[in-house]
Amino acid sequence: MKFHLPIFEVKNLNFNVAKENILDNISFDILQGEYIAIIGPNGGGKTTLIRMLLGLEKPTSGEIKIYGKRLKDFKRWDKIGYVPQRASHVDSNFPATVQDIVNMGRTSKRAMFSGMSTHDHEVVRDAMIKMDVLDLAQKIVGTLSGGQRQRVMCARALASSPEILILDEPNTGVDARSQNRFYALLRSLNKNEGITIVFITHDVGVIVDDIARLFTINQKATICNNPKQTLSCEDMSTLYGIDAHLVHNHKHGH
Amino acid sequence: MTEMLQYSFMQNAFIAGVVIAILASVSGTFVVLRRYSMISETLAHSALVGVAVGLVAGLNPLWVAVVVALLSSWLIEYLRSSFALYSDAVLAILLSGSLAVAVIIVSLGGAFNNSLFSYLFGSILSVSSGDVMMIVVVGGVALALLLIFSKELYFIAYDEEVAQTSGIKVKALNFLLVSVVAIIIALSVRVVGSLLIGALMVIPSVSALQFKKGFKSTTLLALLFAVVSVLFGITLSYEFSLPSGATIVLCVLFIFIVSLVLNNKK
Ligand SMILES: Nc1ncnc2c1ncn2[C@@H]1O[C@H](COP(=O)(O)OP(=O)(O)OP(=O)(O)O)[C@@H](O)[C@H]1O
Ligand SMILES: [Mg+2]
Repeated sequence: MKFHLPIFEVKNLNFNVAKENILDNISFDILQGEYIAIIGPNGGGKTTLIRMLLGLEKPTSGEIKIYGKRLKDFKRWDKIGYVPQRASHVDSNFPATVQDIVNMGRTSKRAMFSGMSTHDHEVVRDAMIKMDVLDLAQKIVGTLSGGQRQRVMCARALASSPEILILDEPNTGVDARSQNRFYALLRSLNKNEGITIVFITHDVGVIVDDIARLFTINQKATICNNPKQTLSCEDMSTLYGIDAHLVHNHKHGH
Repeated sequence: MTEMLQYSFMQNAFIAGVVIAILASVSGTFVVLRRYSMISETLAHSALVGVAVGLVAGLNPLWVAVVVALLSSWLIEYLRSSFALYSDAVLAILLSGSLAVAVIIVSLGGAFNNSLFSYLFGSILSVSSGDVMMIVVVGGVALALLLIFSKELYFIAYDEEVAQTSGIKVKALNFLLVSVVAIIIALSVRVVGSLLIGALMVIPSVSALQFKKGFKSTTLLALLFAVVSVLFGITLSYEFSLPSGATIVLCVLFIFIVSLVLNNKK
């Protein structure tokens, strides 16, 4: 796979909260077409890092460029699909069917006065099929289970036809069968459609054959260009802390 | 029943009332979903400052109310988005602040307590043809803005951050929403009254939410509830010479209780 221009360029990024250093001097690039997994212990700063890439949190210092532009000059946010951590915690009274939510994925692709075009409907339907939520289309999201909601949120992100997918533990509460389906989907989106994927997960073993690089975030960033080797490394447990045992099950799910 | 429609003041009240019901319920759905219901109360009190200024200065109170409510809504949104303040605290501060200013202006101004009463609780007698024109035109523009941006506002209501990261101008649209709400509230002080308009914004939407439908059905239900309440409320106000805001709110409350009972049976 050929990688082209960098989508994200991060230089010397620091994030402090009340003098406490949450992220320490982090630098990396994410290239177009890459599939990157981010791991790290709870509180390691993975979510914070992603939120800074998306302009939701301001770094204390450092530079972030996206498609070569500074965040505040960047206009093409419709190229980005984002599933936040705990996306399933929606207000259970929110008046939305699964269809309504997945339609939201098309919002910034649609012109001001236009309704959903045939193309929009096709893309939405396709996203719902990929995430296996088509038969839930007319259900109110508040009535779904946590795992089902999580899949709906992923479908919404897919429906925006993103060039880059940023997923913050989208699998929490999703059953094993759906998880494997999801890993296969990500692999295919990356390999066949060239979508760049940034995937925060605690379960990197099962996707180790798919990913290009592995970032370990625990205040500092450690970047591994050869994930398969890294996973057998002894020092993983020091980088990854108490969750290190998770990385040994990489023979499952294939 | 039909004789009341022969009076031009009643025609004015019905037209103005229906327009306001549509506006209040559509904007109310977004406001309720954002957990921002209290903004209607605060802006209503700001509108009251405008009414007081208008009465004292001899200007059309409705116009001044629109201007003051708009300014207040921008101040609220600015404070909320620029400082780490709790939005309910911002609303509480501006509510009492507005009321204090309004009361002082009224006290200094002197003898117009009767007409002020009608602005507090609504009066069908007070709606002039000029008012109706203004409510229809300005309200029409406000409604058009809401409808144009409804898919964006809906997305923001569902998840503000995800909306922002998918390219929606969240900040600008938040200003737009509070501006539209300010205009609607100021316009409704004649028919519904500033102390009661909050109810007409919030209760129809909350009632509609009880039915647990999708977005379109919920909005349409809220709209239906608001319009029906206004029509009944104005009729009751005429029949029993009661302040129209109060009768409208009683109708809305009745619908709310019915919705609650219908949807929460064991
Ligand atoms: N705005 C903030 N204010 C205070 N503390 C913050 C803020 N943002 C992040 N933190 C702190 O930064 C640390 C990193 O949090 P973050 O959510 O990024 O971790 P994470 O790696 O995503 O963890 P998890 O695996 O549990 O999702 C935490 O200790 C958190 O309390
Ligand atoms: Mg996290």
